[in-house]
Amino acid sequence: MAEKNKGRLTKVLDYLKYDDPFSKGVSFCPGCGLELLLRFIPRVLGNDIIITGTPSCSAPVLLGQNKQSWHTLSYFGTLMTGAAANATGLVRYYKKAGIDNTVVCFNGDGTANDIGFGNLSGAAERNEPFIYICYDNEGYMNTGIQKSGTTPYGATTTTTPYGTVHKGKNLRRMNLGVKMAMNKIPYTATATLSDLEDLAKKLLKAKKAKERGFCFLHVFAPCPTGWGANPADTIEICRQAVKTNYFPLWEAENGKIRMTKTVKKPKPVSSYTKLMKKFNHMTDADLQILQDDVEYETCLLGGLSVLEAECQLPVSAQD
Amino acid sequence: MNTTAISSNIQVITGNAAAAIAAKLARPDVVAAYPITPQTEVIEQISSFHASGEMDCELITVEGENSAMNAVMAASLAGGRVFTASSSWGLVFMYDAVLATAGARAPVVMVNVNRETPGIIAVSSGQQDMISTRDAGWIFLIAENCQEIMDLVLQSYRLAEDYDIQLPVMVHYDGFFLSYLSEGVEIPAQETVDQFLSVLESQPKRTMLRPGEKLGVGTHGILGGYMELRHKHVTAMERSKAKFDAIDQEFADIFSRSYGGQLEEYLTEDADMVLVGSGSMCGTIKSVIDEQREKGVRIGLVKIRMYRPFPHQALVKALKGKKAIGVVDRSLAFGFDGGPIYTELKAFETKLGGAKLVSFIDGIANTDITKTNVKQMIQMTADLADGKDVPEVTWVSYPKANKDKGEK
Repeated sequence: MAEKNKGRLTKVLDYLKYDDPFSKGVSFCPGCGLELLLRFIPRVLGNDIIITGTPSCSAPVLLGQNKQSWHTLSYFGTLMTGAAANATGLVRYYKKAGIDNTVVCFNGDGTANDIGFGNLSGAAERNEPFIYICYDNEGYMNTGIQKSGTTPYGATTTTTPYGTVHKGKNLRRMNLGVKMAMNKIPYTATATLSDLEDLAKKLLKAKKAKERGFCFLHVFAPCPTGWGANPADTIEICRQAVKTNYFPLWEAENGKIRMTKTVKKPKPVSSYTKLMKKFNHMTDADLQILQDDVEYETCLLGGLSVLEAECQLPVSAQD
Repeated sequence: MNTTAISSNIQVITGNAAAAIAAKLARPDVVAAYPITPQTEVIEQISSFHASGEMDCELITVEGENSAMNAVMAASLAGGRVFTASSSWGLVFMYDAVLATAGARAPVVMVNVNRETPGIIAVSSGQQDMISTRDAGWIFLIAENCQEIMDLVLQSYRLAEDYDIQLPVMVHYDGFFLSYLSEGVEIPAQETVDQFLSVLESQPKRTMLRPGEKLGVGTHGILGGYMELRHKHVTAMERSKAKFDAIDQEFADIFSRSYGGQLEEYLTEDADMVLVGSGSMCGTIKSVIDEQREKGVRIGLVKIRMYRPFPHQALVKALKGKKAIGVVDRSLAFGFDGGPIYTELKAFETKLGGAKLVSFIDGIANTDITKTNVKQMIQMTADLADGKDVPEVTWVSYPKANKDKGEK
């Protein structure tokens, strides 16, 4: 067992070519998925990336606090409403000035799916050459755990609390990854922290694909504090999210969807939901609604990947 | 630098076209904009220049004004020269980015084609959009005619990108009255503009966000750093006053056109009474002044060209010792009796050597500030100078407002 684990670890290390530009300790919640992801990105993509981020959980680490910075990357602190437009301005100027660049626009689901979706959509339409990474912790965590468009059905947040009338969020979550893939941008992918080789490969693919235009990575990033989970379980939560098909791993080149990890016998969604408190109150009937939603999404994804294989996007529309 | 302009040509063009051509002559690296009446023609013209290869810039046809401002702010902080244009609701939609651009000290140049903003969707002129954003930390310049639009855009780059200033500049001009007005505009030759702007190249490089240079912008500044940045911002705005005057002088040397910097004074020296105005109304006011002067009325005009920072020292200097001053506002200070520029000037009343002030509100929502209106303003200012009882605030084209203050 130990040998097997060691083997896995070595494979991940192959992708870590660069030094960690972050301070060894940052004052973040223990087990934070966002921090683990943020440290991983430059170690794969290099320390000459320009990373942009919004006022959010990522802000203190990414943008620094007061006069201190916690990393040595070039960065840009943007507004939630215009993160993708900001990155657009950067890449367009670098293009004009002939400066090689990799701009990583790094935002939570609130920015990407909700308040900043308009300009994310616009950047996709114009096929702007940068990488947009959404770390999805399914809510507004920095402001105190409010619901977002990607908060799943039934989850409690401070704006969808458990009460006598409403029992958590009574709306289904939006599928940001599929929304973006349907723009036929050069590269779209989902990833999470339990499958680091997959994540690293996708980052590198995106770095290459951004030469042809817009790339979008939707990364599942648990928030132990907001979700009421054990900080030690962050990776396990990611693993269960994949194994239950709650968060399937796939990629799409020019919109052509391909699963990168096929789950042959998906576990029931309860093996994922039981790892955190935000679903604790849900009855079996409520869980069934979530289960149905997961199955619907998986079915849709499967259907799309089959359809996309049959349909040919005109060459002129690809780049 | 004392070179005469070479091979300029005069064309009959609209105010919007003047803005677009000026932007082209400034050779921006990145232009991002979104159409809105009455600004639309600016971005249409630039798109046309871009399509024909006349303009070698990155043109970003964004999905909304908010993105336009975000994009040009970022491009500017990365080191580029940028341009954008908006108006009214568009300016309001980009407001968070307008604030961020000023806070980041990004030397963005934009034109704002003045149009009404709040409440009723009015496709009509008025300076309310400018007033609604006046404390955003931008330098605000106001043009009177199409030629001045062209000249102010060119001067704006010198001001915004100056190493000692580094602040965004907004050039305002009256929507409908100037945006679609065609008049003869002298378009300078590209070489002359290049020469005028070349001063910026000899200055130290401003901080630029570049890959691998371990430099960030937009850091959270919560404690003392924030106060420091704000204070530096305010002092840079103060510096911009003298700088703008100097740029105007240099512009006059090269292009043979001078406006007087922060203020343009029209027959003020021997005047007993002065009207204070801004924008397109000043042309009408000047023509009425010419007529009144023939009748022996000693009236002059102070035209505000720089509205932010507020040119109070220059205003005090120009207005000190006059008997009466009528301030014409094309916008409202909601919840305040008197127009915005009037109330601001009122703060310096004690420095005006006993001059009496009166507020005129006119020209809102495309209401024409006619010569008759201006004559009425001059008459009321004269009455004030003679010690007669004149109401503090007069809605010139809406007499009912003056009679019935208690209306619901």
